[in-house]
Amino acid sequence: MMINAVILSYITFLYFVSFMFYLLMMVMGKDLFGRVATFITLVAITGHTFGIILRWIESYQIGIGHAPLSNLYESLIFFAWTIIFLYLLTEWRTKNRSMGTFVTPLAFLAMAYASYSPGINSSIQPLVPALKSNWLIAHVITCFFGYAAFGLSFGFSLMYLVKRFDQPEKKTLFLKLIPRSGILDDLSYQMVVIGFLLLTLGIITGSVWAHSAWGSYWSWDPKETWSLITWLVYAAMLHSRMIRGWRGKRLAIFSIIGFSCVLFTYFGVNYLAGLHSYAQS
Amino acid sequence: MKSNLGKRSDIIWDIFSSVKLTMALLIILAVISIAGTVIPQREGAMEFAQRLSPGLVRFFNSLQLFDMYHSLWFRVIIALLSLNLIVCSLKRFQVTLKLFQALPRPDRSKPFENLPLQRNFQVEGEIQEVSGRVAEYMRGQYKKIEEKDTKKGNFFYGYKGRYSLFGVFVVHLSVLTILMGAIIGSLLGFEAYVNIAEGESADTVTLQKSRVHAHKKLGFSVRCEKFTVNFYDTGTPKEYRSDLSFMDDGRVLKKGSLLVNHPVTFRGITFYQSSYGTIPGDRVRLIVSRHPGEPKTKTLGIERGHPLPLPGNEGQFEVMEVHGNLKGMMGPAALISIKPYQGKEVRFWVFKNFESLQERFPKEMFQSTILNPSAFKPYTFYLKEIQSKYYTGLHVNKDPGVPLVWMGFFMIVMGLFITFFTSHRRVWVRVSKDQGKIRISVSGKANKNPVGMERELDHFVHKLEDLFITER
Repeated sequence: MMINAVILSYITFLYFVSFMFYLLMMVMGKDLFGRVATFITLVAITGHTFGIILRWIESYQIGIGHAPLSNLYESLIFFAWTIIFLYLLTEWRTKNRSMGTFVTPLAFLAMAYASYSPGINSSIQPLVPALKSNWLIAHVITCFFGYAAFGLSFGFSLMYLVKRFDQPEKKTLFLKLIPRSGILDDLSYQMVVIGFLLLTLGIITGSVWAHSAWGSYWSWDPKETWSLITWLVYAAMLHSRMIRGWRGKRLAIFSIIGFSCVLFTYFGVNYLAGLHSYAQS
Repeated sequence: MKSNLGKRSDIIWDIFSSVKLTMALLIILAVISIAGTVIPQREGAMEFAQRLSPGLVRFFNSLQLFDMYHSLWFRVIIALLSLNLIVCSLKRFQVTLKLFQALPRPDRSKPFENLPLQRNFQVEGEIQEVSGRVAEYMRGQYKKIEEKDTKKGNFFYGYKGRYSLFGVFVVHLSVLTILMGAIIGSLLGFEAYVNIAEGESADTVTLQKSRVHAHKKLGFSVRCEKFTVNFYDTGTPKEYRSDLSFMDDGRVLKKGSLLVNHPVTFRGITFYQSSYGTIPGDRVRLIVSRHPGEPKTKTLGIERGHPLPLPGNEGQFEVMEVHGNLKGMMGPAALISIKPYQGKEVRFWVFKNFESLQERFPKEMFQSTILNPSAFKPYTFYLKEIQSKYYTGLHVNKDPGVPLVWMGFFMIVMGLFITFFTSHRRVWVRVSKDQGKIRISVSGKANKNPVGMERELDHFVHKLEDLFITER
């Protein structure tokens, strides 16, 4: 295993540790744990960034240099990175750490799947002709930042649904520490807006790329189709909120359905035959 | 009768102007698309259909379920969505235009009702002087300022970001533009493919859409000069490259290298590297033995159309035809023609798998001259191998709708940005006399992002306060 993959497999545990501290904070109500959790997450993302850059450099050292965004392993690593990056931004903006409990597990799971699943190859592979394009970086970055924003919205929606169990007479600290429903609803919506814009950009860059690689900007390949399905679901969600004024529980459920579509676009499509086969291993 | 008709068109208008319909159509499209990824489409459908009962296949076929994205009913749904989108946009546009043009009177008192404490503050000074400075500051912050002096005080109204109201129409228009591009592409464009062997040229391509393999003349010809494929050490492909020449009237007008991700366009038709393969080439290796049984044999290479002298110099021989699998069952074969200096020409096929053919077919068959490798005495010919050559598989495409689609992409990004990240912000300020001092009240409203608006108002009040503190 190359050094970058070793480093990244250790980062997986750091995310688990930071999740534990966020959880401790929520259960014990001690702010110190929260600060430790944020500190560990910051250390982890620094190492994570270093690992990705190192992988990029190592690919050049073995003579097949390319950005580390070309297969399932690399995309999972990058997906976890975007989730944590967006999460830290939100934590900093909202000054609220309770969301860490719901978001860091997503990054941990993605990293663990990448590093420890027997079906995933962590070695650096050369680019096949179809991937040799400047569109690769733009396409992958927009798509995964979009996925990450939808992931965060999913986390906020879960929190919203959990928060509904909170009643004034109840004394569960965990529930008390979750922000007000209104704030969660708003944050979830804002993340969907960001995700929707990025997903649109991701589909567009993919489409322009497909036009030059396969000769058609749209070929109803399963991954294309599923990204369109995801786009349609979130478009319906935005209309339901902006025009029909849906809020709260209904929107939270919408966001969870939307994120399931994202996950299917990402993983499920691999079980259907199509043109995007290089993202499978 | 007339009113009845009017009522009916009203109902239709109401149906198509409802967002419920939009959401229903979006969800229906999503669900259908899911079905389309589960049921194999087009090329994949054949294999899938074999596992179904004939009745089910007929049922699937009648509903066009094996090519549902191009089926009539799928297009009808898209058309309904477009109609819904147009009607909704038209309906909303009137409201938006009113909102856009509206200039509320600055001296409305409603915005100042229930104003939180921090939006009110007192300063010292003359009312006209204070008003002047407030107005000056506002002009720097907002696009347009309306003023009104009344007995109740001096009122100011400012706004910015009015164009944000139109973002959603840009998005809707962009969706229609993309669909229009797709329609133009499917009406005026074509998708086809063609395989060209190295050194050969083609002037017709096979259309992909039609079930019967219709051909289309290009109006020029394409020659594949050379095809190369490179591999990494691991065995995965690194590069496919076709060197192409575009010709008309026998003259080469353009040369270009075609790679994956680097298509080549000639006269509005674009060529893409899509596949490759090998076919029997023109060079064969033959084993020639003189006098049957004699161990002295000769292996030689010969190219189709280039005659060589016989080893004993009785005349010349030539390869007329090369076949990868003669009659679809006899395997690789070459047609040899021998022209002796004296006597008549002799022609016969030689086979690579001659021994196994002799077992499979009656012996008498190989007595006839055309199948007898020893037809020209005293020679016997054997086919050792046919050297293969590459052919390149090209995807050929003409799509005049693409520029519209690109324009739609640009518009949708712009539109989404305007819709979600800019807002129409309106601010009211009142400067009034209050117990010998001057009171300034600030109120505001935005069409979205209320949190951001609150932040802006906080900042605005802060700046105004600073304006009067520095003086003291």
